[in-house]
Formats: sequence, C-alpha cells, structure tokens
Amino acid sequence: MKIVVVFKWARDPEDAAVRSDGSVDWRGAKMAAGEDDPAAVAVGRGVATASGCSVVGLTIGDGDASWALARGVEQVVAVPGAPSLADNAATADLLAAAIRWIGEVDVVVIGDAEAYLGVPAALAGVLGWPAVLGVSAATFADGRLVATRRIGDREQTVSLGLPAVLAVAAASAEKQLPGMKEVLAARKRPITTVALADLGLGLLDGLESRGTRVPEAGSARIFEGSPASTARQLVAALRADGVL
Amino acid sequence: MTVEGWVIAAGVRRLSGMVSAVRGMGGGVTVAAVGPRSVAEAAAAAGPDAVAWIEAAEDVPAEAYAPALRRALAAAKPRAVLATTAPQDRALLGVAAVALGAVVIPGILRMWLEDDTVVIDRTELGGRVVETLASVAPVAGLFVGEDIASPAAAAASAPIERLDAGSPADIRIEKAEPVSGANTGVTSAERVVAVGRGLKAKADLALVEGLAAALRAEVGCSMPIADDRGWVAKERYIGRSGQHISPRLYVAIGISGAPQHLDGVRDAKVVVAINADPGAPIFRRADYGIVGDLYEVIPALQAALGEDQSRNSGKGEQS
Repeated sequence: MKIVVVFKWARDPEDAAVRSDGSVDWRGAKMAAGEDDPAAVAVGRGVATASGCSVVGLTIGDGDASWALARGVEQVVAVPGAPSLADNAATADLLAAAIRWIGEVDVVVIGDAEAYLGVPAALAGVLGWPAVLGVSAATFADGRLVATRRIGDREQTVSLGLPAVLAVAAASAEKQLPGMKEVLAARKRPITTVALADLGLGLLDGLESRGTRVPEAGSARIFEGSPASTARQLVAALRADGVL
Repeated sequence: MTVEGWVIAAGVRRLSGMVSAVRGMGGGVTVAAVGPRSVAEAAAAAGPDAVAWIEAAEDVPAEAYAPALRRALAAAKPRAVLATTAPQDRALLGVAAVALGAVVIPGILRMWLEDDTVVIDRTELGGRVVETLASVAPVAGLFVGEDIASPAAAAASAPIERLDAGSPADIRIEKAEPVSGANTGVTSAERVVAVGRGLKAKADLALVEGLAAALRAEVGCSMPIADDRGWVAKERYIGRSGQHISPRLYVAIGISGAPQHLDGVRDAKVVVAINADPGAPIFRRADYGIVGDLYEVIPALQAALGEDQSRNSGKGEQS
C-alpha cells in the first residue's frame, strides 16, 4: 500500500505577468509549490505513519522535485516536460496516468489549490475513487481514512474506505521551512523520472482560448480627495445603500 | 440552436446564479440536488425546468452519491454542468465531468452557445484577467459569477423528480459540530471590519476596533494576522479555510485580497476596500474603495461616521 502526495503540479498564478492589453506572460513561471502543498505533505506523512505505509511524492512539469524530499517524503516520481493545461480534467488525466504508473496506490493526497479547484475532483473522477475535498486534517484508523473539513458553518469529520483521494486546504502558511540538514538529506533520496510519452496519454487540451483581457473596471467606485473627503463620501454612499 | 445544461448542488448557495448562467446557452436547465429535501426544494425555487433529487441519508455526505449522479448524467448527456466551489459540489462535478467526457474549468462567470460550441468567460489569475474559452466538448464548470435573486415566489416551482439513490460510496459522517468561532459572532454579523497586513503593529488594532465599534461591526482579519502574527484570534480569520461570512457590509482594511481570502467573503453584500495600493486585487471585488493610508483613513472615517450619526440621530436608527 502506498500513499502518493502530489506536489508542485501547477504554475503559480502570481508568477504570471498581465500586460496592459490583458494578455498574459507566463515566461519563467515554473510548476511551483502551491500554498496548500506543505499541508498536503503533512497530511500524507501523517496518514503514512498511522497506517505504516510508504509515501511517494509525485510532481509534474519543471518544478523542483526535491522540494518534497526535503519535507520528509521518502521518494519522488517526476514527470518532466508535462505541459500546463487550461483544462483541469486534462491535468487530472496526466496525474492519474502517473499514479497508475507508480502502481499499488491506495491514497492520493493533493493540495486543494484555489486556482485549480477542478483538478482534485477530476482526478478522483478519473481514478473512479471516492474523494473528500477541502480537508484541513486527516489521519488513518481501523482501516479507514478519517478527514476533517468544513461544510458551511459546521466542522465535519468523515471516514472513508480505500482507495480514496484527499484534497487538503491549508489552514495556515508553512510554519517551518526545511533547514540545511533536511535539504542535504533530501539529496540522498531517490527521484525517479518518467517520460511523458511513457504514460501513454494522448494529451489534448480540448479548449480553444480566444484570449484574455483585463476585467471590465468592476463596479467599484473609488472615492477621490483628502482622507476626510473620501471618508465622508463613503459614509454617504453606505447610508444611501442602507447598510449603516 | 439550444442545448441542455445541468446544475449540481449539494447545498443551496448560488443556485439562481447558476441556473441563470446555464440558461445563457438558451436551452433547458435541470438541477441535480443531492441532499435532504430542503436542498431539492431550494433548487426547484431557483428557476430551473426540473429538479432531479437524490436523497442523502443523514450520516452520508453528498459526494458518496456520485454513482447515482453519474448514471443520471450519462443518460441525460447535458452539454454543460455547473457547480459551486464548495467541496461536496466540486467532488460531484468531477464525477459528472468524467461521465460526460467534459473539460473541467474553474472560475466560470458566464456561458453561451455559438453554433455547436460552448463558449465561456472565466476569471483567471486571482481575478487579474478574464479569459474566453471555447469548447466543442461538454463543459463542467465551477461557477463563481454573480448570484441573482430567486425568481418571484409567485413563479411556479419546478417539478422534483426523485431518483434512485442506489448504494452510496463508502463515506460516512462521523461527527458534525459548529465550527469554533461561530460564537465570536463574526460569521453571523451584519457588519464586519477586517484587517490585513497593512496594519503595522498589534497595538494599532485599537484603531480598527474603534472603527468596528462605531459601525457596530465584528472584527475579522486575513490569514497572516491570525496565523503568522497571532494578533487576532484564529476564530476571526476570514478565508477559504477560515470563516465564511455573508454580512451586509464588509470593510477590508489593508487586505490585498488574495483569492483564498476572497473565497471567505464571496457572499458579502456591500464590500468596502481601504488600501494603500491602488492595484490591490481587493478593489476588483469591492463596491466602494478608498486608496490611502489606513492610519489616515480610519480616523477620518470615524469622524465622518460621527457626523453621520448626529445627523441621523433625529431620524432613528435604520438598522
């Protein structure tokens, strides 16, 4: 039984530059660790410890494969050259193929990245496994995964059998960055590279982009003037809206 | 030419907005409601032509009924399905996408049909751009567009057809309790004033609290203020993994507006942004904005509120 933690599987939207004509420049943007990736690694390791399984990190594209190794993951499988796709289902196909390539996987843990909210769901769909998304914490007990997440204003604890997909949403920023000792130890751990062609996928982004544009100047009314003047204008507007 | 579209809902949020967005393709709309009868009834009132209801047992979460939903969608073969970004809705959408061979697109604002192609506008890069995408394949989308008011109560509710729920996947609800922090009042408050990294020192919170008091508002904050800095109780952090609030007035002070924060205020009615950076993403979500130093704007705002109060005190409170 193996647990796969997927990390650095998407480009960081913060790395994209938006030109004045609304076109996007992704040059230099690599597959980056998402803000939820450290939490996903922590959950994956926790479940592995509780279940006595091994953890395999999985990354696609041209991100740093040793990132998870420095965070305690024992081995990493990397699919370099994997493209970044607009269709979240195509990204999920790619991840699912890599997970099948790894083989004997019972749990997939993936960051529930805000910019790619469709990927974990589509991944579970492609694998045909039950999924719990938006998870803040998880462990393993009595042969079942036990996950906590928030539904509306309630905190829900669910348990599910294997195999399963967990998508983890970080409740806080990464607390402790790996030190030199961890980074050096990571260099000794194995990274296995899989060629995209070996995954047997006909990767087609079934979408045609007709281009990007800067959003229409929203409905936001920006008040101009001195602090006193802007404050008075704002209070008058709120009073008129009936929200004071 | 028109085509059918579906909405998948395990909850009652943004139903009318999604039904209206699917109507953009010009055809019929069915809502697949997965949950208790109350969800099916809310769906029926949101303006669709039909509701397909999969009743969920009390201790079974909605996503466990993915197999029943998959069967229904494989039979109906809609060209587009929409769901909210809520975890349960998303999990169901992923299953629907595979059943339909659909592309999966987050950030959907609106959609329409051109010849036989589904065309969508979606928000990308945390709201910095809008991209138009065209798909000949079916589209499974996560809807983040405007919600609209439900059709008038007088309008006839759509018929509810109950589907065979079949045997659910092996997921059980073990425990459900109100999130800690529900008792701080920030989740139910009519007005919330929240502060972010624009605040320089913990002592300056007094300034924010003073404004909140003047507005009779609860105080909230962005993740770094509760997490890294620990200046405000964690229960008051607003964002995707924190509190989700729906106040009538939300005032974001020194908060840049990261996507994960905006997720927590998606249902706020009137949003005011006060930020020194005119390019801060929060201004794209705001109804009103003041570009300026919070240390100057807050006192000015308190003074203006004081003037307003004394002007209106004779007319009685409006809220």
